[in-house]
Amino acid sequence: MAAWDLNVTVEDLGPDAPPLQISVNSDLHIGGVILKLVEQTNLKRDWSDHALWWEQKQQWLLRTGWTLDKCGVHADARLIFTPQHKPLRLGLPNGATLKMRACFSSPVFRTVMGICRVLNLRHPEELSLLRPVEEKKKKKDKDSSEELYDLTDVPLTAGSVQALYNGMPAHFADSPKTEAVYKMLSVSLPSPAPEAIAKLYRPASVVDKTHIHTRWLDSSRSLMQQGIQENDKLGLRFKYYSFHDMDPKYDAVRLTQLYEQARWAILLEDIDCTEEEMMLFGALQYHIGKLSLSQDVVSSCQGMDDLESALKSLEVKMVGDSNSTDMLDNMTAPELNDYLKIFRPKRLTLKGYKQYWCKFQDTSISYYKSKEDRCGEPIQQLNLKGCEVAPDVNVAGQKFCIRLLIPAPEGMNEIYLRCENEKQYSQWMAACKLASKGLTLLDSSYQSEVQNIQTFLSMQRSSSAAPTAQTDDSINTHSLVSPRYQKKYKPKQLTPRILEAYQNVAQLSLTSAILKFLQIWQALPDFGISYFMVRFKGSRKDEVLGIANNRLIRIDLGVGDVVKTWRYSNMRQWNVNWDIRQVAIEFDGNINIAFGCVNADCKVVHEYIGGYIFLSTRARQQSDTLNEELFHKLTGGHEAL
Amino acid sequence: MDDIDAMFSDMLQEMDLLTQSLGEEAESAPLPKPSTIPGPQEMNFSVGFTDFNASLHNLEDNDLDALMADLVADISATEEKFATEKDTSKGSAPVAPIPSQPQSNFSLPASNDTSRHATFSNSIAAPPPPPASKPSKDELEEQVKADKIKLALEKLKEAKVKKLVVKVEITDGSSKTLMVDERQTVRDVIDNLFEKTHCDCNVDWSVCETNPDLQTERGFEDHENIVEPLSTWTRDTENKVIFQEKKDKYEVFRNPQNFYMWKKEKQSLKDMKEKDKEQLLEENFCGASVIVPDLEGVLYLKEDGKKSWKQRYFLLRASGLYYSPKGKTKASRDLVCLVQFDNVNVYYCKEYRIKYKAPTDHCFILKHPQIQKESQYIKFLCCDDEWIMTLWVTGIRIAKYGKQLYDNHKAAVRKAAGSATWANRTIQASSSPSTPSPTPKAKAANGHAPQPAVETKGSSNQTSFPPPPPSMETLPPPPPDPMLPPPPPAPPSTTKVNKFPPPPQFPQSSFPPPPMDDLPPPPPPPPEDSELPPDFLPPPPPFFSSCGGEALPPPPPDPMASLPPPPPAPQNFASSGGAPPPPPPPPPPPAPAPAANKPAGSIRKVAPPPPKRTTPQLAAPSGGNLMSELMTAMQKKRTQ
Repeated sequence: MAAWDLNVTVEDLGPDAPPLQISVNSDLHIGGVILKLVEQTNLKRDWSDHALWWEQKQQWLLRTGWTLDKCGVHADARLIFTPQHKPLRLGLPNGATLKMRACFSSPVFRTVMGICRVLNLRHPEELSLLRPVEEKKKKKDKDSSEELYDLTDVPLTAGSVQALYNGMPAHFADSPKTEAVYKMLSVSLPSPAPEAIAKLYRPASVVDKTHIHTRWLDSSRSLMQQGIQENDKLGLRFKYYSFHDMDPKYDAVRLTQLYEQARWAILLEDIDCTEEEMMLFGALQYHIGKLSLSQDVVSSCQGMDDLESALKSLEVKMVGDSNSTDMLDNMTAPELNDYLKIFRPKRLTLKGYKQYWCKFQDTSISYYKSKEDRCGEPIQQLNLKGCEVAPDVNVAGQKFCIRLLIPAPEGMNEIYLRCENEKQYSQWMAACKLASKGLTLLDSSYQSEVQNIQTFLSMQRSSSAAPTAQTDDSINTHSLVSPRYQKKYKPKQLTPRILEAYQNVAQLSLTSAILKFLQIWQALPDFGISYFMVRFKGSRKDEVLGIANNRLIRIDLGVGDVVKTWRYSNMRQWNVNWDIRQVAIEFDGNINIAFGCVNADCKVVHEYIGGYIFLSTRARQQSDTLNEELFHKLTGGHEAL
Repeated sequence: MDDIDAMFSDMLQEMDLLTQSLGEEAESAPLPKPSTIPGPQEMNFSVGFTDFNASLHNLEDNDLDALMADLVADISATEEKFATEKDTSKGSAPVAPIPSQPQSNFSLPASNDTSRHATFSNSIAAPPPPPASKPSKDELEEQVKADKIKLALEKLKEAKVKKLVVKVEITDGSSKTLMVDERQTVRDVIDNLFEKTHCDCNVDWSVCETNPDLQTERGFEDHENIVEPLSTWTRDTENKVIFQEKKDKYEVFRNPQNFYMWKKEKQSLKDMKEKDKEQLLEENFCGASVIVPDLEGVLYLKEDGKKSWKQRYFLLRASGLYYSPKGKTKASRDLVCLVQFDNVNVYYCKEYRIKYKAPTDHCFILKHPQIQKESQYIKFLCCDDEWIMTLWVTGIRIAKYGKQLYDNHKAAVRKAAGSATWANRTIQASSSPSTPSPTPKAKAANGHAPQPAVETKGSSNQTSFPPPPPSMETLPPPPPDPMLPPPPPAPPSTTKVNKFPPPPQFPQSSFPPPPMDDLPPPPPPPPEDSELPPDFLPPPPPFFSSCGGEALPPPPPDPMASLPPPPPAPQNFASSGGAPPPPPPPPPPPAPAPAANKPAGSIRKVAPPPPKRTTPQLAAPSGGNLMSELMTAMQKKRTQ
């Protein structure tokens, strides 16, 4: 067979080097071409990651056993000999950018698996890559060099077994630099400055929310095939809202990143919530932020933390049970005794605060006319069990009131306690808080409760100062809520409301606080719905199709209401007509729907539906191995096969 | 006989003390003290229900007997527990000797004495312990002293436990009187009532409280502590506790589609497949967070303190009940929160059309449990019809209790199945037709029981105490098989442990469950076996036919796998069929898998009972068969 010349650009020779010309036969296989090529370069290095990329056809020639003929390569082909793994700038859910090597030759689905393995993120099938928002501000502040974490030196580990070292995967423990990366991944970042939130893009309507889906990459094709170049920036996000087998012991990074994604979804009004919910989210963010700052990642992973605390409490219990003298000592309960001002608002009275000698014992407050009368009968005894406790505090105005709503058969009794100073307030407030839950001053959480209240007060003190990002203990409460509430409330008004919500979560551990945040997020009515602009067959106007993990919903753009819901469990089949780019779905009872996508590619819709069905096949006790083929079968479309 | 007398007087004294402590806690005003048997009456007076006094006089003898039985069981349980503790502490093996325990209880009058001191002094004043322990210090040696302190503490703890005597009305017009304590859940009370009444024990039975002042009714949730809501009643209350079937209690788990797909026509949801229902429940109750039905619609709201009812558009969210103010959209940001559920309960109301001029009689209120009279802090809501009311009330309960409700239901179903089979079994056993067979033996073992009423108590004691350890020891076979869902005995015992940190101090409350669960194992096989196939069998056939094109068949034993196959568009695979390697032989793997599971499963479930079966004539035949089956199965496995 006649030999002919093949031009191959070898990237390692430099950008300006001319293509190498090698003489080949049509029945030479790809491996042979590479061998010839490497010999000709005269470079001694590890070529094992290199492969041939066919530029005109936008495809990799990865089957080394195939002949040029079989691949369809002729003399006019321009091939490039290039590494399959290239650095990529990865925008993480927490907003940080991480530079790391990713595979440019395998389908994005597998590339994501590789990335997640390095990041120690389990269940990579829930994530995917998307192109960043077209950055308009690029011209404006090009100089602002974003902080870049670098993981490009870390080799991609082939094995899936992750040895832990110092509480982190071994490949992070190499150097302080990589340790910092792991910390960034596994510990939630401080709250952003409110201005930063306000500056970021927020979807204003459901139509805006459909745009994100124009940016997802195709899971069944490689990065290179989708025009992604070395050092390009891509976002890594949880794409499917179905989080399998969340286990704080193994999922430090996953939990943190999911929390960050949820937090940003809420701050950027990606998902709507009510004011009450926003306050609770704010309180949880504050709590998580505070705990994260004080946490030393390297010495203890979260799993250990929980275990330790569990052991400790067990120890306390054992001691308490076995040591009878201790128990006897404990019988004399501690009390709080002080002069406080009490005010009972009643209709048509203008009486103000009056000073009494107050005694806090067990779960009740008894008050007396004066200290001297304390041995006699109290004027009244208030049992706080089951009552509502709310702060009424203004640090600047030196007002420290506790509002108590004490349930009684006739209704609620409203009583205000006014304290002199922060210290007194925090002690009494903590006691009231515990008593409302039926706990006494004896409870171990009392001291930490006092502490929490004090730090929160200091937060209010500093919030009147210049807005700053979260530093030590101080924080601007505006950075905990979405711009809508930043506009609606001044920090002075916002802080007490968040404080109120905070009291219900202050005792949570870091992990449980994050889990709680995720739980409330997942309980929002609009949670987990991905919106697509579509046009239904036979309809003349654009409508919105929402895809969730168990159903499809049809939303009328005019009214903004859900018109129809179809559940996957009733779905018989769905298919895509790739020629006219139309998705057709058949449900039980001969219900057929068909639609075309207006702004996103119909492959994305197809992948979403197939993806959710794939995710639902994950059984509870299945091993880690992912059934890639099934995924591609469900999501790939005709190109995949 | 002397023994019994001594014990009885001991017991009475004990009750005296208990009631004194109770009286202290309830800070009740002195009420007329009736004569006859002092113990129970004082209990009652400390509770402070006025109607109760009257009802006490009407109490029938058997009620009193039952109460006494409760008390006896109560006291002896504490001591038994202590006795075992002491045994172990002294180094003797924890054999849990049933017969020896009573002896040790009553042959130790000295320790009883100290305990009495302790409880007594403590019940009178808050910081009492020192005086209690000091006298004993002087009199006795070190070892004994330590023991006594321990016992005293134990008693003290026991004395501190709040107890109430409750009269429960039953729908057939009769009533039962029970003593309940702080640690008991509503579930325990229901079980107790199942024992005492002869109802069908289905899951709908619930304990409800009614408030005639507000004309409300609320079914307690199974996990609630019964004493808590009862202690919020006022002294002169007319409130009642009623034991009745309530269809709406667990309706959401029977027909979840009516709640979660309420927007659709009910007719079209009527014949939803069981499998779909289960999936619906799984989606909404088994995820990371419970999904609350997305209820929304117009309800009438009686505004704080006003007389008029206003229409508002309400929405239910996990975080609370919201309405959208006039002129605003339904968007989350515009919603106004009417109430959050942390501190309130939801109550059905009766005849509010007359009482509050409500638009309809289908009203419910949200209030703090302690509020017993009309108040501006109560939220009054009114619905167009009964079904809408059920929807909202159920929705609110889901929002408030979350997964707990689901767990309650599962436990209730297990219980119901257990008690049903219990009944079957006794009939088959053909020993004594009405009473369970173990009773006589129990009586023998617990010999000291003076009253007939104790018999029932004793039976529960007897059956419950010995079985648990053996069940743990004889059951090892099950664990190796992780595929099988609920190994019947294990879950109940663990839940029990969780709910009752203090050990078995109140046997008739905490222990009836075990006997039920010890017994069911034989019966469960039928129902659970029939459950198995749907789980394991269906996937294979449709699955492989639809994805035949590929080399490696996806996970065969995966139950969910049946889902994906239908969707994959035939079109997709039509093109694929030719290119890749020829269809592999997928059928083999799935076939052995279920087969292996199934025999193991049925055997596993049935096998355990035989060893501890008290009536061999029943268990032997089936047990023998199964044992041999098990053997063959094991051998097969070995040869493979």
